Amino acid sequence: MTLLTRVREVAVDRRGNSSDRILFGTMLALSGFGLLMIYSATRDSGTFSMERQMIFVAAGLIIYLVVSHIDYREYRSMIPLISVITLLLLLAVFLFEPVNNVNRWIPLGFFNLQPAEFAKVVVIVMLASFLAVPVSDQLMPRILTWKKVLQAGGLVAVPAFLIYRQPDLGTTLVFAFILFAMLFVSGATWRQLVAILGTVVAGIVAIFRFGLLSEYQLDRVRVLLDSSIDPQGIGYQLRQSKNAIGSGQLFGKGLFQEGTLTDFNYVPEQETDFIFTAVGEQLGLIGGLLVIAAFAVIVWRLLVIAANARDRFGALIAAGVAAMVTFHVFINIGMTIGIMPVTGLPLPFLSQGGSFYMSMALALGIANSVWLMRTPVPGENQLT
Amino acid sequence: MKFAVRLSILGIAFVAMLSIVGLRLWFVQVAEGPAIALAAEEQTWIEKTAYAARGDIFDAEGTLLATSRIVPAVVVDRTFVQPEERDGLIATLSALLSISVEELEHIYDEAGVNGDFQVTTVSNEMAYQINEMLDELPGVEIAKVPERVYLAGPTLAHVIGYLGLPGVNELEADPSLPPDVRIGRFGVESSYEEDLRGTSGTEEYRVRRGEKIDERPAVQPVPGYSLILTIDLELQDLVELALEDGIALSNSVKDADRAAGGEVFGVTKKGAIVVLDAKTFDVMALAAFPDFDPQLFVPSISEETFADLIERDGLFNRAIGGAYPPASAFKPITYTAIEELNLPFPADRDDVDLSNRLVDCDGRFILPELADGSSQVKLDWYNGRIDFGWMDIHGALQWSCNKFFWAAGLGTYQSYDGTIRETVLQDWSMDLGYGSTTGVDLAGETGGVVPSREEFERRAEIQRENPDAGLLHPSRLEAEGNIWQGGDLMDFTIGQGAFTATPLQLAVSYASIVNGGRVYEPRVVSRIVDSSGDLVSTVDSPLVRRVDISEETRLSLLSDLNSVVTSGTAREAFKDFGEGLAQIGGKTGTGQVSANKDNHAWFVGVAPVSNPRYIVVVLIEEGGSGGRIAAPVARHILQYLVGNDPTPIVEGQEAD
Repeated sequence: MTLLTRVREVAVDRRGNSSDRILFGTMLALSGFGLLMIYSATRDSGTFSMERQMIFVAAGLIIYLVVSHIDYREYRSMIPLISVITLLLLLAVFLFEPVNNVNRWIPLGFFNLQPAEFAKVVVIVMLASFLAVPVSDQLMPRILTWKKVLQAGGLVAVPAFLIYRQPDLGTTLVFAFILFAMLFVSGATWRQLVAILGTVVAGIVAIFRFGLLSEYQLDRVRVLLDSSIDPQGIGYQLRQSKNAIGSGQLFGKGLFQEGTLTDFNYVPEQETDFIFTAVGEQLGLIGGLLVIAAFAVIVWRLLVIAANARDRFGALIAAGVAAMVTFHVFINIGMTIGIMPVTGLPLPFLSQGGSFYMSMALALGIANSVWLMRTPVPGENQLT
Repeated sequence: MKFAVRLSILGIAFVAMLSIVGLRLWFVQVAEGPAIALAAEEQTWIEKTAYAARGDIFDAEGTLLATSRIVPAVVVDRTFVQPEERDGLIATLSALLSISVEELEHIYDEAGVNGDFQVTTVSNEMAYQINEMLDELPGVEIAKVPERVYLAGPTLAHVIGYLGLPGVNELEADPSLPPDVRIGRFGVESSYEEDLRGTSGTEEYRVRRGEKIDERPAVQPVPGYSLILTIDLELQDLVELALEDGIALSNSVKDADRAAGGEVFGVTKKGAIVVLDAKTFDVMALAAFPDFDPQLFVPSISEETFADLIERDGLFNRAIGGAYPPASAFKPITYTAIEELNLPFPADRDDVDLSNRLVDCDGRFILPELADGSSQVKLDWYNGRIDFGWMDIHGALQWSCNKFFWAAGLGTYQSYDGTIRETVLQDWSMDLGYGSTTGVDLAGETGGVVPSREEFERRAEIQRENPDAGLLHPSRLEAEGNIWQGGDLMDFTIGQGAFTATPLQLAVSYASIVNGGRVYEPRVVSRIVDSSGDLVSTVDSPLVRRVDISEETRLSLLSDLNSVVTSGTAREAFKDFGEGLAQIGGKTGTGQVSANKDNHAWFVGVAPVSNPRYIVVVLIEEGGSGGRIAAPVARHILQYLVGNDPTPIVEGQEAD
């Protein structure tokens, strides 16, 4: 009990630390830039995509600010409850009519909630808590036991399987990547890492070999190998995406330029998964590299937060969020330029989508809380 | 490893991943960028096909038979159809236009991702209805396209042909064919496809939010050339009516015969007539029955209607594609061979007078004894009813005495079999156009079969491989000498046995004989003109070969053909001909098909005999006797051709 009391005292004690302004500034800049890109892609379509996204950005920023000022260590005791709620939400998507043969959303009237997006954050927090030995004065172990690795895998497998059944292979892979990254920093041995990697590869091979993928998922991989085939228009989408980005060349065709593929609405789903094509075509390689650099800054800040965290729990959260952001950027931009399959993973802060934006803001907010709380009280061991 | 080290490694890995993306981006935008930019620019241009109007078809007098009019059509541009909208769009169009989902899916997928395609032409009412619904039909628009109109209905259908979408094989053979533009099927629509088709043009423009913002200079479509036929619609109409009357006559005669206890096997349904200009080889009329209305195929034919057409054989042009035993109608060809090649008659027979080339036409021809001592007897058509007595070649043609021609066949076989002259009669026939297509400018022609030892041995070989082929009687395979026999050549002399020919081949052979031996390719198109009526080219009938026929033989044959209608086997049919019967010639034919089918009725008419111009070939398939059924039909047409008032088609006399 004394331990808990002490934690509560510390919670309000920021020891004079201030928010990570670079992290917040970059996130803000990307969000504003995202709104501009969404506008450029949809300005005459009459869908009010940009206006809707503005509401989500506003909501996301509020979430960020609120969460920043909640001590992240508060969540540890709530993890069982949050996990159960998340699992129930992931199950709930199957109660509603599928959209385009996919059970991904819970319609709330004003917007459709995607539990899988929030589940990513929940899984990061849950894994961080599990891998960080409970707060004590002991030193953290240098390496993980096999038992610990298996248990961590089991924890992620449950939500990952539910999301795989939606089906949403992309998000399932996000979980695998986060697990891998967090186990690595937690001290997994090379053998364990190879074993995890082997399991993931074997799982993917099994999915392909035993027909566990639907035809449309297979097609998305096939078009990477041969873009001339056009299963359900994916080849077309990829070609248009690559044409838009490629034709932007070094400096781009100019923002809101008429006669671009963006202007002609030639890229399907441009404001969501393919928002990067609007960047590439209008602002060229310069604009594209600036966006990638902005993400590099976010990842850098997150790793700095991890390195400076007051405890292993906070460090693992920040590392997990960094892994999530990196994987999204890698897969999403890779997809638009034809080196990754079309998996439907959006681009953080740029792609239109409410659940995704808010869950990203939530993740960064928690990381910021880790930053704010980084200084231990006198006498407290920084557990490394 | 320390935590900080692991974090650093993770950081390096993340930077590496972002760098891969950055490098690839550089490659796509800078290394490949200029090429992709060109392709992307080109892609924003929408290319629409501007369909060319197909050329018109006129009869010899300039009457319009087939033309194109501009009608509304449903066109789908896939650029504006999202992948998930495909199935719904196809289902809606299928319900609206009564086209099967499978068919729509096929043309949709064929068009390609950014392709546009024509679904079908529609009525103005349907176009209006669809126009109101465009909001629910992504990518659909109403365009104006040319569509075929056939103004003459089923008249001349077998000469004109019809249109259909190209099949898979045709598209593979000619990749330049647009898959949604109809091409000719049979008739001149097919044989003059390249002249008629024209060249489609293109319109290129850019659309931004539903508005045209840019346009490139359009390539105007070039309309196809028009055809002027050798056929006069007035004569063709008369010929088609005469053919139908002839079929009706055959059926009423059959009814009467059946009532009188005669043997009748079936209902007469089919026939063909060819009228050929013996000097120019222009086809003046060409009719085949059953026929069809080519308009049924516009814009496309329903499966039931098509199945029904196939069921009643309506698409088959039997005037050029049907091969039948020509029977006695072939005798004039044997006649000229006997005269010109001096075919030998058999020696040591008391019914053949060798020195005077006379044959005792008593109706029975006893064949020479076989090795086993048996002997066969061939019975002539008049056997038991008439005994014509001794006849020369003139009487034999006039009364269609088979025995005379059999004698020539037997004599030829006995004298020439195994020698270089063995096929002298076959060669003569083939020179006059039998055994190969005439080369008429219509699709779907067949060449028939001229029987010979070579042909029979070819069949025997097939039958030895496959005993069920049914090409020859099994007894012929028992011994080498049995395959080709004297009887086969005898059958050939009277146009029977394995011999088959088309009505058009008969017309060509008669025309070649009466014009002194010049064999030309017949033509149904005389001129090709452009859309403003200026001559592009004339279509002439190339000379195929010259056959040596003496003036003496030619005049003798024409005189004998005249005696057929004045006092021979067609006397009864021509008795009411009117003025100028002296200028008419012809030959009857009654072709035996098989034991349980009625005979084919033939008549080939020639006029005027002093300077032959018209050849009229009439075939009533399984119609009965040539003199009784076919000759009156030909008489009716010849009356019209020489300027007499055609009198009704009534029964002639029963004669081969």
